[in-house]
Parts: sequence; structure tokens; C-alpha cells
Amino acid sequence: MQLRIDHLSKTYPNGTRALDDVSLAIAPGMFGLLGPNGAGKSTLMRIVATLQEPEAGSVSLGEIDVLRDKEAVRRTLGYLPQEFGVYPKVTAEDLLDHFAVLKGITDRAERRRLVTALLEQTNLQRDRAKQLGGFSGGMRQRFGIAVALLGDPRLIIVDEPTAGLDPEERNRFHNLISETGTENTVVILSTHIVSDVSNLCSRMAIIRQGKILSACTPRQAVDELKGSVWEGTVPREHFIPFKSQFNVISSRTFDGQARLRVIAKGQRPSEEFAPATPVLEDYYFDLVNRQD
Amino acid sequence: MRSLFQTSFAAVFRNEVLLNAKRVAPYVLIVFFASNAVLWWGWGPAVETGWATNSEFYIQRNMGGFSFILGLPIFTGIIVGDAVIRDFRLGVDPLIFSKPVGRGSYLLGKFLGNFFVLVCCQSAFAITFFLLQWVPFSKMVVLPVRVVPYFKHFFMIVVISHLSLAAIYFAAGTLTRNAKVVYGLAASFYPTYIAYQLLVLKNVPRIFSVLLDPLGGRVGEGGLMKDPWHTSADVLNKLEVSYRLDQYVNRGSDIVLSALLLLIVYFWYRIDPVERKSEAFTKLTLSEAPKRIAYSGPSYGLIDSPIEVLPAVDQIPIPKVTSTRGPATTLFQMIAAMGVEFQLLRAERGLLVLTPLAIILSFFSVPFSRMPVEVSYSVASATNTANMLLLFLACVIVFYTGEAMHRDREVKIEPVVWSTPAPNSAFLLSRFLAITLLGLLLVVIGGLTTMVAQFYSGFTPVDFSAYLMINGVVVVPGIIFMTAFVVALNVLLRNKYLAYVAAVSIGAGLFYLYSIGYNHWSYNLLLYQLWHYANLTRWPILGHRLYCLAFALLLLALAHVFFERKSSRTSLNVAGEIIEDAE
Repeated sequence: MQLRIDHLSKTYPNGTRALDDVSLAIAPGMFGLLGPNGAGKSTLMRIVATLQEPEAGSVSLGEIDVLRDKEAVRRTLGYLPQEFGVYPKVTAEDLLDHFAVLKGITDRAERRRLVTALLEQTNLQRDRAKQLGGFSGGMRQRFGIAVALLGDPRLIIVDEPTAGLDPEERNRFHNLISETGTENTVVILSTHIVSDVSNLCSRMAIIRQGKILSACTPRQAVDELKGSVWEGTVPREHFIPFKSQFNVISSRTFDGQARLRVIAKGQRPSEEFAPATPVLEDYYFDLVNRQD
Repeated sequence: MRSLFQTSFAAVFRNEVLLNAKRVAPYVLIVFFASNAVLWWGWGPAVETGWATNSEFYIQRNMGGFSFILGLPIFTGIIVGDAVIRDFRLGVDPLIFSKPVGRGSYLLGKFLGNFFVLVCCQSAFAITFFLLQWVPFSKMVVLPVRVVPYFKHFFMIVVISHLSLAAIYFAAGTLTRNAKVVYGLAASFYPTYIAYQLLVLKNVPRIFSVLLDPLGGRVGEGGLMKDPWHTSADVLNKLEVSYRLDQYVNRGSDIVLSALLLLIVYFWYRIDPVERKSEAFTKLTLSEAPKRIAYSGPSYGLIDSPIEVLPAVDQIPIPKVTSTRGPATTLFQMIAAMGVEFQLLRAERGLLVLTPLAIILSFFSVPFSRMPVEVSYSVASATNTANMLLLFLACVIVFYTGEAMHRDREVKIEPVVWSTPAPNSAFLLSRFLAITLLGLLLVVIGGLTTMVAQFYSGFTPVDFSAYLMINGVVVVPGIIFMTAFVVALNVLLRNKYLAYVAAVSIGAGLFYLYSIGYNHWSYNLLLYQLWHYANLTRWPILGHRLYCLAFALLLLALAHVFFERKSSRTSLNVAGEIIEDAE
């Protein structure tokens, strides 16, 4: 089952062009949608999750026309939005059971087995009888994953899932989300955190100002920069002239000096620079810089 | 030296006025009050009785009415009650409290800023009424143009009364930081005030009834004004309304009460975050988790944090389940959603407030002395309860339906709920049925209370069938209609505050029409003042009830057609405008 997005456009009433002729083909597996805040990721996710209408374009999931046959999509969809709330006075088990009913799982025994398994999977079994209002951010996020996994979904959308999580919970979330991708499931991970994509996704796209800048695998992205990334330290006062001369993709001030990462194909920028192993962030910043 | 306009008090005050200027509610109130002034002026009792529409008597009378009816005490709560709560809700509290703003400046600026907006809204009534002196109707008696009485009575009766009410709501909202407490107070205003009038003020000497009335209901009352219907219009038109010492003391005590409440708020107010009762949840650590982790990590060497890789065999198998569709599934989903609604209603402890109110109202609807009754004491008591509970149920339905319809959006669970395949009808009908059942529960409680009160008063036998008949034929269809109406209103307006204002305005407008004689079953679906016990089982009334139920069905169908699962992330910008996030 493949998710196809063709020429999708969306402009908000205030004139913001959130999506500008976006086209993507997403095969089963983990797909990372990477972009800065305000790039249009959440708009794209909401459209695919049947919660928003585009002005133009089409979206299909296998044989299903997402924009027309919304109920069919919802039967096979697991969605964890960026801002995800709960009823604070309801227990994790009760709310998960309620969502299972809304998913159409009416058999009580089946539902109980499913809810128990999902709470186990997300490590919430011990907290099943606790009210959701008392859950930490990470526990709530894991609960969200449990909701998204209800009813054997074929399309899972997780929007900015690790924003605000501490490193430990983020790690735990990575483990959990990586388990969800099966050979028949499309998992879209929308994020502005580059390492989330590099850690989890086999394919990715970079979106900015509503346009897809690149769609490839993380390996292809990194391979493209092999031998071109340099790292070195220059006096702070040299930074501005250096920046005008070379493609500086990141800079950090350390001990009164500027520590720079530069892309220069085939030539060392200066003696202070040594070759560096490219990472996905380099590709991302290079692409974004080129657009600026 | 800084002028008053450069102080932090002025900044907070100005900001509150600007924020309110961006809200819809004040404008709706202005239109609502102004249109009521037109109605009261042109179609009020003055035209028929020959009272001059700008006589001091009529001005004072209308200000008293305006201050009490039209839901003004409730609107006061809506405008003033959440002034401080709003800062915490929007998360701007750390930004404000990290600035050198004194507690007094902040609280007084908040209170007076919102109260100023409230008075501006209220003055729409007085100003419209004042301007209408220049547009007399035919056959309408109008005296030479006058100015002072309008502003004198507006200030004495409306502004001062609502100053103390506003202080109560503000204190409750600021100290509890819970908007629901304010709404609860606002909703319980009428039953509480009416009970206070009947239980206390009615039974104390007149001077105390004047002094102890916080709303100044007896301010300006006295002499001829006590019984205007039996006084000649000429005498009333020449009457000059003045206030006596006890009445000034009453007004002064309202101001003192407000000052005291603000002082209490000043001393008790805390800016630290409210401690949330959190569960002692287990802190899970990675050392406990690996057995459940089955991570097939990427092979690019790009991982910035090491993740343990375990074979997939350790995954917890998720059982295969069957998803069903069709009417039976929809019904099941509806019942489940209704169960959640009741669970949330119970958790909000709303029932704990509503049940005693229903009991108090019903208890006082029993006639406590022998009086000629139409058919029997049971009929009289059941009729009184039905009438008494009508306004109470209307308030409950309007506010709880608004809460239920918009709760998912407020707790941000809406996108997840709407991404499920449950049909719209399951969401709409579950809320409709939950609120209807809540209404029925209150009717049952009210009916039982009345029966018990009747029994203990010695007015036996208690005729159960009379209660059943009146509630079954009159009250129950009324509840169904009101709930369907408010559900439709919330779907169409997509904003609970707009729906509140619209529902209250429409309700008040209709009751006003009924009270001045425009009362027909086709637009009086609650059959207010249109039924007699003897006719309840006869065709015209039963036909009217069927019409009412059909209308409710139509409203639900309308709600279903216009219900949209359209999610957008909205937030407030610094100016308080709603903006749609382009992310």
C-alpha cells in the first residue's frame, strides 16, 4: 500500500501559502518529513489525516482516495497529532478502550486483549488504572502511540512526537516508533529534529515554505556530501568575511573563537580546516542555506 | 513624575480594554441590550397604559428590570470572571509576573478594565433608551427631553449592583483560577437570589429588606411605584423618583462589599502555579525497558544517541481484531461516547452543584399554605415545579451542551477523536442524549423532592399521575427540544461563547414576546403559559408536543448536516486575535 500525494496546495485565509504543489510517493516503512517550524508539515499531516481540505491536488492511499473516501482512510489510520490532549480524569485503560470502540472494535473480549497488549507494548501496563492527568509528557506520548496503533493501522502519522521530551523519553519513543513500522505499514514521522529522521527513517523529504526541497534516503543525502564537509576554528572577527566567501552551514562560538562547519567541494577552505564526516544535519542546512 | 496614564495600573487596564475589544461577546451584548431597549420602549407596557416612556418612573422601572432579567448577572460573570484565569490559561503569566507590576496594580487594572467594558456594554441599553426620546411612536406619551434621570438610575441601580456582582465573580475566578467556578456561580445566581428573596427578604421588616438586597431590587421602590397598575398614568408620569437614606446605605454597602472582596483578593492572591494533584506514577527507566524493545536500528552510523538493538522476537504481539461497521456499531459507539460524557460530567462534580439546586427549587415550588387550586395540590405543585425548573433547566442545557460540544477541542483531543472512523452521528447524538438524560435526571429529582415536600406539608394524597403527566407531556419534550436547539446552535456557530450569547438572547427575546402577549404554540415550543392540566391529554396539546419533537428532530438533522470535522490549529496572538497556524 503506497501513499501518493499529487500537486497538493493549501493557502490559509491570511494569505500564508502552507503547501505549494507538493508531490510525494511514500512506500511502506518509516518516512521522515523534515522541515523547520512553519514549513507546512502539520498542514500536510492534517490533510492526509482527513482533518483538513486542500485547495488543489489529490492524495491516495493504495486504492483509497483520501480526500473523498474519508471513512475508509480513518478505518486504517493511526494519528498522533503534534498537540495531543487527553481527558485528564479518565484512566489510560478506559480511554484506550473508548478509542477502540470508536475504531469499530465492538467485541469486548477482543478489545480487552488489544488494550492490554498495547499498554504492555508502550510500557504503560502498570499505570493503566491511573488518570491521564497525572501522566508525564513521555508517558502521555507513549499513550498517544498506543492510540495510534489501535485497530491494525496501515497508515500511521506521528507529528512532531519528540518535541519537549527529555533525552531518555525521546530514546524510548524512538524504540517504540521503530517497532510500529511493518512491511505493510506506511509510517510518516513529521519533525524538525534532524536526528529523529536519521535515527529512524529509511526515506525522507525536506519541506520548506510549503515546497518539497528534496526527497531521498538519509544515506543518499549524506553520500552527496562526502569529501565536501570541513570543520575548523577561526578568530571571531574573521567570521563575517569567511561567511561571504564559503558556504558555512553551522557556526558556534567557543572560547572567543568561531567554530565553523563548511561545505567546500574539492578544496580545503583554509589551513585551519580539517575534513569532517558528513551527517544529515549538514545536508539539511546546506539545502536550507541554498534556498535562502 | 509619572502621570496616572503611565502607571502599570493604566497599562493593565488599557490592555484589558483592548483584549475585550477583540472579543465578539461585548459587541453581541451591546446589540442585544440596545435591541432590548428598543423593544421595551416601543412594545413595553408604557404604550398600553399611557405611561410616558421617558418619565422618571418608567426609566427607573426599566433600569431595575434590565439589571435583573436578560441574564445580565450571568453576562457579568462571563465578562469579569476569567480576567486573571485567562493569563494563566494562555501561559502569559510568567511574562507578566516577571515584570515590575505590583499586585494591586495588576488586580485592580484587571478588575476595573473588565468592569469598564461591562459598563460600556450595559450603557448601550441606557443610551439607546435615552436617544429614543427623539423618536416617539404614535399614541406614545413622551415628556420633554430629559437627561439626568437616565444616568442617575443607570448608575444607582445597574452599575452599583453589578459592581458587587462583578467583584464576587472576579474574586471567585481569581482565587480559584477555575472558570467553571465562575460559571457555576453565574448559573446559580437566579435560583439563589430568588430563594434569598423568598426565604429572607420577604420575611424581614421593610427597612432590612431594602438594606440587605444586594441587587437593590427595592431601591427606588415605595409609595405609588409599589402598585403602578392601579395608579393613574398622569400621577406616575409626574412622579419624581428619589432615593431615601436606607436606599443610599444599601448602595453604599454594595460599594464597600466590592472593596472588601478586592482587598481579600489582594491579600490571598498567589501567582505561583496551581499545584496539580498528580498521580504517583512510576518512573520508568531504560534499564527496565530493554526486554520490551525491539529496535532494528538504521545502518548509517548517524545515530546521535546509542539505542539498544534487540531481536524482533521480543516484541509484544498485538492481537488481530475485527472492526465492524453499520448501525449496530454506530449505536454501540454512541452509547460508549455517552458513557464517557457521563464519566466526565461526574468528574467535573457539576452534578454535585446541580442536584442541590434542583432540590431547593423544587422544594420552594410547593405551595405552603392552603390556597384554591385548579385541580389538586399535586397538580399545583407539579405545575409550579415545571415552571420553576424551566429556567434552571434551560441554563443547565445551554451551559453543559456548550461544554460537552467543545470539550474535545479545549483539551486538544479532537484531532485524535475525529481521525477515528466513528460517524458524526455518534458524536452528536451521544452529547445530545447525555445532556437530555442529565435534564431528565434533574426533573426526576425535582419531581421526587416536590412530592416529598407536598407529603410532609400534609397536602395529601400525593397524586403521582399528575407529576407524571405534567413532566411527561410538558417538560420532557421541552428538554429534548432545548437540547437539540443548543446542539444545533453550537454546531452552526462553532464557538461556545457565541452559542451561549445567542441561546440566552433568543430565549430572553422569546420570553419577552410571550410575556407581552405574542404567544402562539408554533413558536412557543415549550408551551410556556399555553397549557392547562385538564387539556394535557387532549389532541391540540399532544399535537403541539409532536410538533415540538419533530422540530427537535429537524434541528438534530440540521446539526448533522453542518457538522464538520475540520481541524485547524488555532492560537491567540498577543492582541488576543484568533490566528490560524500555518505550520
